[in-house]
Amino acid sequence: MKNRFRKVLTTAMAGTLAAGMLAGCGSGSGGSQTADTAAAADTAAAESTTSAAGGDDLVSKMKVDYDGEPVQLTFWYLSTRSNSQAICDAWNAANPDIQVKVSLYDTDGIKDACKTAAQSNSMPSMWFNWGGSLGQYYVDNGLTYDLTQYAKDNDWESKFNSGALSLVNLGGQVSGYPTSYNVIGMFYRKDIFEQYGIEAPTTMDEFDAACAKLKESGVTPITTGGLNGWHPMRLIEQFIEYYAGADEHDKLQALDESWDTDAVVKGLAKYQEYCQNGYFPDGFVTASPDDTKMAIETGTCAMDIQGQWYDAAVNTDGFDASNLGWFPFPNGTKRMSAFAEMTQFNKNLSDDELKAAMLFTEKWFSDDVSTVYPDDFNLPLPYQGAEIADPDHQPHVMDMLNYSSENGTFTITDQALPSECADVLFSGQDAIANGQSTPEEVAKNVEASIESYKAK
Amino acid sequence: MKKKHKEESSRSAYLFMLPALIIYLSVIVFPIFYSLYISFHSGTGIGMMKFVGLQNYVAMGSDPVFWQSLVHTLIWIALTVCITMPVSLLFAVLLNKYMPGRTFFRGLFYFPSIIAIVAVGIIWRWIYNPQLGIINSFLKLIGSSYRQTWIAKPDTVLIAVFFASLWQGIGQPMILFLAGLQSVDPQTLEAADIDGANGVQKFFRVTIPLMKDTFVMVLCTLVISAMKVYDIVKALTDGGPNNASQMLATYMYNQTFAYNNVGYGTAIAIVMVLIMMIVIVPYLIFTARENDGRKAK
Repeated sequence: MKNRFRKVLTTAMAGTLAAGMLAGCGSGSGGSQTADTAAAADTAAAESTTSAAGGDDLVSKMKVDYDGEPVQLTFWYLSTRSNSQAICDAWNAANPDIQVKVSLYDTDGIKDACKTAAQSNSMPSMWFNWGGSLGQYYVDNGLTYDLTQYAKDNDWESKFNSGALSLVNLGGQVSGYPTSYNVIGMFYRKDIFEQYGIEAPTTMDEFDAACAKLKESGVTPITTGGLNGWHPMRLIEQFIEYYAGADEHDKLQALDESWDTDAVVKGLAKYQEYCQNGYFPDGFVTASPDDTKMAIETGTCAMDIQGQWYDAAVNTDGFDASNLGWFPFPNGTKRMSAFAEMTQFNKNLSDDELKAAMLFTEKWFSDDVSTVYPDDFNLPLPYQGAEIADPDHQPHVMDMLNYSSENGTFTITDQALPSECADVLFSGQDAIANGQSTPEEVAKNVEASIESYKAK
Repeated sequence: MKKKHKEESSRSAYLFMLPALIIYLSVIVFPIFYSLYISFHSGTGIGMMKFVGLQNYVAMGSDPVFWQSLVHTLIWIALTVCITMPVSLLFAVLLNKYMPGRTFFRGLFYFPSIIAIVAVGIIWRWIYNPQLGIINSFLKLIGSSYRQTWIAKPDTVLIAVFFASLWQGIGQPMILFLAGLQSVDPQTLEAADIDGANGVQKFFRVTIPLMKDTFVMVLCTLVISAMKVYDIVKALTDGGPNNASQMLATYMYNQTFAYNNVGYGTAIAIVMVLIMMIVIVPYLIFTARENDGRKAK
């Protein structure tokens, strides 16, 4: 009888172990898809994609002149850019002396993966990052290659647009290779606005009136997803910009002025008013920000606060971006929220490795690749005078960037604030939406977290 | 002669154990003590750490999110013991009886266990989606105007996340219970039949007492996994809204890796270990006593 029990138990344990292994394969590191586990399948898929989209043509364009020792590099990038593996495969096929292994992570997964790697001294050769406080951590801890001299030697000031270059300049050093420069505006469904006789708002009163009209008509005015906090934050920072004005908002972002201030409270109160009026979808506080475009595409919501990459994002879903319009958020200052993306390099790279990594990055973020996979890039690339090859395909991009050049930008809040302070703001957003906290309490809590951060 | 042979055999046994011991000491014991050491320091985990004594532990006392996380974790453990365990036992009892398609149903109920938890989180996020989710679509179909937003409300989010976890986590304890049920001697049950016991009496007075080992094992594994719950929360709510589903494991992770407060995060991990010891130590004592008892017999 005991033998029977043992047999059944052993079988169960073996099943459990196998299940654990299966589960482990699918759930590594916050939604990551590492090259180790996915490479074989991805390579097959990528080969077919490469041959379909770029094929041998892309491989031939990928070839670079490199006279150093053969090197093997690792690159951590975003899984949300769907052709990354195909691009990397084309690179590897064209450049046998510079082999790169790419690992893909989702938007929040890559932040976690890099932090974990930093603490265990196992950073890759190159990794995707954002500017502001997110990139600053790696500079503060001496983990990134200081590219200041490299940038001087290679005249990056004439190469990159100044906004992008300034946003990757952290702690007095050029901390990465700028790969995109992004500005955020309000996208809307043109047909819905037309149906209800709404013009693109140019003042806050008009914006309020447009939201009220949409709500009365049974359309949820604004789609947003608060799962990680940063999507509703994009609206709140616009409200704060409206009440604080440019100077005060800049001081708040630089932590030079208390967040327990009238402008922040008013901005949060405006957000509270929008929550209470039902201007956001039911359950938005834990909805994924990746899913907001679905509400726009299906027409259940009329507006989404997004960057110029939104054209590419909806195009990927088969929704024609020309069905959308955009307007700068009517915050009174005309400034747009902006942020940069970059590739950071491991400070331990040898000269040959740095040279190879830089060649790889320059090629990846070049017209050669972005014209083959335009929807994989936040176009235009952040080079001076860059244009997009097919403006009809992404009709709002240049207009948004030109508007931001004329009217200025401010740093997006989650890159201006340290992560722990941004998270207090995000929790406060939820608490306001669910009626658990007042704007005054949230403003106080954010300020307390900033004080605590400064005291460390 | 015999003594010498015994000594040699013990030495060989220790030598065979050595590789396993080295691995155990380096990957289990050393990290535990190193974590304890780090918990008395502050810093980002890179470079120099500053010794702060018990400051991290004292700080927990005045950290409302820590207390919220602790309460949520204890609620989760209670739910696991009160719901996951009885439900998985119920399924095991049902699937232990002969019926057509029994093997299929065993596979069916075990199936969610082999799905990656992150995938389970995504599946359930869609099930709970207020606009497009199956629950609200069903309510709409039957003409109800009620709309659920369970994972967005602080008073329902924990239960909603727990049910997603229950769906995924029921298979493993069910299999263990099934194994336990099959180990019960049919002759003992027959004897109970002859003595006039009915089905309920047989179950509670014969089957369950004979499955004591299985119960202890299931209880301990469930409590330990409940204490460490992380993936499903991260995937479904990320601890929100407003920390309403924040667990000790998710908060520990945020402090350590998102906020770079490595000392404080590690101190939370140590507290988690201490709480787990409350379960593990009695389990080990129980197991040791059982083994001693068997040897004595």
